[in-house]
Amino acid sequence: MKSEEIYNAWKERKSQIDIRENFADELMNQIYQYEREKRKPLFDGPRLIELISAHRFVKAGVVTAGAVTGFVRIMFVVYAFLAC
Amino acid sequence: MTQETQVIHQVLQGDIESFRLIVERYERPIARMIRNIINNRESCEDIAQDVFFTAYRKLASFDPARSNFSTWLFTIARNKSINALRKKRPLSMSELPQNSDIHNPSDELAEREFFDKLDAGLEALTSAQKRAFVLAEFEELSYEDIAQIEGVRTGTIKSRINRAKKNLAKALKEIRYEK
Repeated sequence: MKSEEIYNAWKERKSQIDIRENFADELMNQIYQYEREKRKPLFDGPRLIELISAHRFVKAGVVTAGAVTGFVRIMFVVYAFLAC
Repeated sequence: MTQETQVIHQVLQGDIESFRLIVERYERPIARMIRNIINNRESCEDIAQDVFFTAYRKLASFDPARSNFSTWLFTIARNKSINALRKKRPLSMSELPQNSDIHNPSDELAEREFFDKLDAGLEALTSAQKRAFVLAEFEELSYEDIAQIEGVRTGTIKSRINRAKKNLAKALKEIRYEK
């Protein structure tokens, strides 16, 4: 076999490709799923709860924010009471 | 407006199903390019899907005035292939693609040996040389398009392809001397 023939045969082999039949279907499903996710409102109730419970730090942040807000509110009440 | 630009416009207007036309048009070239760069048949389709998904998400950023769509898509594929190569494990010779069209066992053996040498020669190229070579030889893109994909000058691409061809020619010569 001549070098050129070998090279051309190799090149032809490298140019062949079989991809799975449902390649486009799988991809389109992924895209439709992405679009559905995108259209969901960002902060609907169940999604917000899901988001908070899924991350430890978010959970800790929400509890801390609640505690700080409560404390500030109590301080306002105390201040208002003392001012009278 | 080309037919492709029209399809892109339709997708951007909300006709998601039109994107299938783009996928069906480019699934083979993109998967082939990735396979020839990363040399892994199993993961090339997953990476190709990732390429199309990224293309879909970023479709609004495609500017037909700056490049044609195929160049833009191949640029995404190029970047994904580079990322995949960084994570890739070394490939054994048994995983290299095989040709099943040959009937004479001795021919098959000899040709397999030639192909293995060429595959090894391709693998031995630098990543940039290999990408330029694959895009030019297997995808038959112009040097200008490859330069745009790689973000370098056309002269750099010519030199990378020449060096790649020289190295592969050397691999072929070695076989002939061994025989």
